[in-house]
Amino acid sequence: MTRYLLRRLFLMAFVFLALSLLAFSLSYLFPGDIVQNLSGLRQIDESQRQQLISYYQLDHNILQQYLAFLTRIAHGDWGQSFASQQPLLQEIKLLLPATLELASYALLLSFVVGIPLGIVAAFKPDSVVGKSISAVAMIGYSLPIFWWGLLLIMFFSLALGWLPSAGRIGVLYEIPHSSGFMLYDILLADIDYRSEALYNALQHLLLPTIVLATFPTTVMIRFVRDAMLNVWEQNYIKTARAKGLNRGQVLYRHGLRNALLPVIRQIGLQFSTLITLAMLTEVIFSWPGIGRWLIDSIYQRNYPAIQAGLLVISTMVITINMLTEILHAFFNPLARRG
Amino acid sequence: MSKFRLYLEENNRSPVKQLWREFKRQHSAMTGLVLFISFFVISLLAPFVTPHDPYLQVDELLLLPPSWSAAGLVQYPFGTDDLGRDLLSRMIKGTSYTFGFALITVAGALLMGLLLGALAGMSKGVKSSIFNHILDLALTIPSLLLAIIIVAIIGPGLMNTTWAIMLALLPQFVHGIRNAIDEELKQDYVVAYRLDGANNWHVFSRLILPNIWEKLTIMATMAISTAILDIAALGFLGFGAQAPLSEWGAMISDSLDLIYLAPTSVAIPGLLIFTAVLSVNLVGDGLKTAILKRRQS
Repeated sequence: MTRYLLRRLFLMAFVFLALSLLAFSLSYLFPGDIVQNLSGLRQIDESQRQQLISYYQLDHNILQQYLAFLTRIAHGDWGQSFASQQPLLQEIKLLLPATLELASYALLLSFVVGIPLGIVAAFKPDSVVGKSISAVAMIGYSLPIFWWGLLLIMFFSLALGWLPSAGRIGVLYEIPHSSGFMLYDILLADIDYRSEALYNALQHLLLPTIVLATFPTTVMIRFVRDAMLNVWEQNYIKTARAKGLNRGQVLYRHGLRNALLPVIRQIGLQFSTLITLAMLTEVIFSWPGIGRWLIDSIYQRNYPAIQAGLLVISTMVITINMLTEILHAFFNPLARRG
Repeated sequence: MSKFRLYLEENNRSPVKQLWREFKRQHSAMTGLVLFISFFVISLLAPFVTPHDPYLQVDELLLLPPSWSAAGLVQYPFGTDDLGRDLLSRMIKGTSYTFGFALITVAGALLMGLLLGALAGMSKGVKSSIFNHILDLALTIPSLLLAIIIVAIIGPGLMNTTWAIMLALLPQFVHGIRNAIDEELKQDYVVAYRLDGANNWHVFSRLILPNIWEKLTIMATMAISTAILDIAALGFLGFGAQAPLSEWGAMISDSLDLIYLAPTSVAIPGLLIFTAVLSVNLVGDGLKTAILKRRQS
């Protein structure tokens, strides 16, 4: 296990090195003035420019520029946003919790719904239930998420008027900002309209979570179903059946434990898809998260923000990927090889 | 449920024929194939089969409702948009943008992936190890995010989107092809062939390629559905096809502000994207099952 961990950590260091090189080269690849792209300042006079050039070591060779970039990132000086002229790290800290909140609820929903449905579908693959679950999974797998979101808005918000179509909470409620996670903040806040605010926030959360969870849920159903069918063919299942265990016992003692092991790894893989889909969901539902911010930054040609967004999202995705891989190896000794 | 067989017949048909036999048995896969072929034909013939010019703006017929409503005209089955352009013609034309360009993207990515994957799979040692680590990084960054970053560098447009998605799809192709080649190289017949004096190129072209094409097809179908969704998503966000091109995703975002007045102009392009992706996925799933069954028989 120690050797495996060391290998993983080495790999992770390498991946982060490559990522920092990519992010570093972006400010040179983007069109426009390099000093502006690095600092994010719009108006730069001559003396300030000289100061910045020596700060970014632009008069030195490329290796020193890269080292200067690394120290800058490590010290939390990520430059400013072209649009708001605010420090980028500050902006990201405000936006990230909204995305994480949405993504984690969607991930949770996809597991809670996807795993049981996948097991049921695998238990009797040729029955009506099994076939219809597979069919629904196929349909959900093919839905373009932005259109699906619009359909739900058209139906539940415009036609029926049951659910709100945009934002995180109604404008009537003022929630003091502490962690950035809306539900947690409401529970923590010292206000007398707490239950109403909670209800309102949940209403806002419902549609985006369903839209965002659709794709991962269907992936989960298909994955668990295939894994279960695969395990069901193994010899140890036949042995267990021959021993005299009934179907339920075999399922619980041998089937589930082996089939659900790879699911841990799915968390990491799903997270990367989720973040991409969250960008689209946030645009449709005007959710104030990092995905919508990144897309707005591209409209505004806000190059420092694009760079920072790439760094934050990729770091997050890579870290969670690695953590789930390690967790998977912790539970499954077979995965420690290679 | 094996059928009763009176005579012991040997199945000596070619792998493709066996595959087709297994594929034909699945009704859903056949439905998908029919849909897939019709989309393909429409995307090829789009300039000739549109009933009206997709870019002609008819001033007298702005926002005509679809023909099934009382105010509609039978010449315009899905009605017209806010500039008086025929929606049916635009959707037919859009097939070649969304579906056709997705096919081109995947074909390009597949070719590049085959080249790089072969180079990576056939080489050993430090070179392939470094290559692997770079791939790992590229695989962890979500493909749509990668495409968005590339579009941010080279600017929006349908052609640039194609390049961006091609590059974004490349890592998974290279990874898959490399693994497939790795698996093949472990086989005994490869060793036997090498002992006969075959060089790398012989092994690759005579043994590996014929043995991995099934995996390639499955990879390609999965990539086509991703490519369609990504092209439409980028078009919807305004980074892909620009006005007046009638790419399906761009059509949805164009008619978003008319969602109260003409909900069909949002619903139908989305339905087309959904059907196209569904057809590709059905074919892909059918192929997967057919290959599995062929191997078992």
